[in-house]
Amino acid sequence: MALEGNLQDMSLIDLIHIFRMGPKSGVLLLADGSEHGILYVSEGRLIDSVVVRGQEQQVVATAEEAVIQLLQWENATFTFRHDPNAVVERPTRIFHDSEWLVLEGIRRRKSPLQGPSHQRITMDSQLELASLPNQAKGGVNLDLTQWRILSQIAVSQNIRDICDNTGLEQNTVIRTVTELVAIGLVEVTNVLSPKPVRPKPANQQSGHKPSSLTPVPAGSSAASGDVSTTTSSRGLLNAIMRRVRGL
Amino acid sequence: MESVKIVITGAYAAGKTSFIRSISEIDILSTEYEVTDEKERQLKHQTTVALDFGKLAINDDYVLYIFGTPGQERFDFMWEHLSIGCLGYVVLVDSCRPAHLNETYRLMERFVEITDAPFIVAANKQDDPTALPLTYIRRRLQVPIEIPIVPCVANDRESVKSVLLTLLDHIAVQTYGQKVDDLQEDPE
Repeated sequence: MALEGNLQDMSLIDLIHIFRMGPKSGVLLLADGSEHGILYVSEGRLIDSVVVRGQEQQVVATAEEAVIQLLQWENATFTFRHDPNAVVERPTRIFHDSEWLVLEGIRRRKSPLQGPSHQRITMDSQLELASLPNQAKGGVNLDLTQWRILSQIAVSQNIRDICDNTGLEQNTVIRTVTELVAIGLVEVTNVLSPKPVRPKPANQQSGHKPSSLTPVPAGSSAASGDVSTTTSSRGLLNAIMRRVRGL
Repeated sequence: MESVKIVITGAYAAGKTSFIRSISEIDILSTEYEVTDEKERQLKHQTTVALDFGKLAINDDYVLYIFGTPGQERFDFMWEHLSIGCLGYVVLVDSCRPAHLNETYRLMERFVEITDAPFIVAANKQDDPTALPLTYIRRRLQVPIEIPIVPCVANDRESVKSVLLTLLDHIAVQTYGQKVDDLQEDPE
């Protein structure tokens, strides 16, 4: 009992819309090469998400950032399992509604190098360790650079300090901090010049080609349909109706 | 005794054979064949290559034949033969496989070219809690509002009956502008 397909046949935006309309409860599993995503849905609301990579299932992103990353996927296979029990005790870690996430996903698609507007990271950004460590997928695997930067967060004023203390290049530090924010281990506490989120008009309809499919009144000319109009007499329709009802 | 027919069409593995099996008063004649396409084989090992064929005696004068079209497009040359002279047809679509919607859309375009017989869309597997809603299926298939889309469970007889009754009403409305229950008997 599952809804299965490929995001080329049905976009994640459409899936999220269907979940909300249901409303549905369950778990959406996505796979795109070595990356896997999980989206937890409770009564139509997205409550948690995680993206993992590789056989080690290294966590790439969690919660809202994971949803935004999943919205960039175009060719993933998916399976949605209706399973209210799987989400009933899962804590909510996504606080924006799905419309905000979809709009943020669309915005990110247009500007892929930008992180979420409320988390834009500069050299003056101040960081702190997240109050709730990520428990998704049973743990987090960090590489050496991530560990080095993570260890500096408590003792550094901002990213500039981290660069000075570690000797790492600015780009490397910003990229790594972005990953740590995405994973949910680090929070940006002071973002300079934050820009408000301005939702842009979404054109999120699935790319279905326009159709000329319109009903053709019975009785109009057709190469092969002449028999149908002669056989569908009123009495016959009545008789068939009675017969089917009586089955 | 005269015969009339209704056609059940739909993309691969939509549930056409189950649909006919649910309503036919005879064991259906099903001509299944091993599937050649690897992707399709994951869904179903055999496919209907010629036709599924069910029968329902209406009264002493008429017998209704219910034909199912082959699902794989390489057998689409059969569709035209099956659609000739049909009262109407049901387009069956799997509500749990979005990929089915694109295939079904192509099939519907083709059928509209082949025949002007009235049709309705039946969304199969609507008993599955993950099934796509009818409103979404209508939008994806771009089915005009005047063409009914009805929920269906192809292996449930009452559900199949309901689909056929909807089709008959739709045929009556398209042909006479009235539902079947409102029709007067033929003057003759």
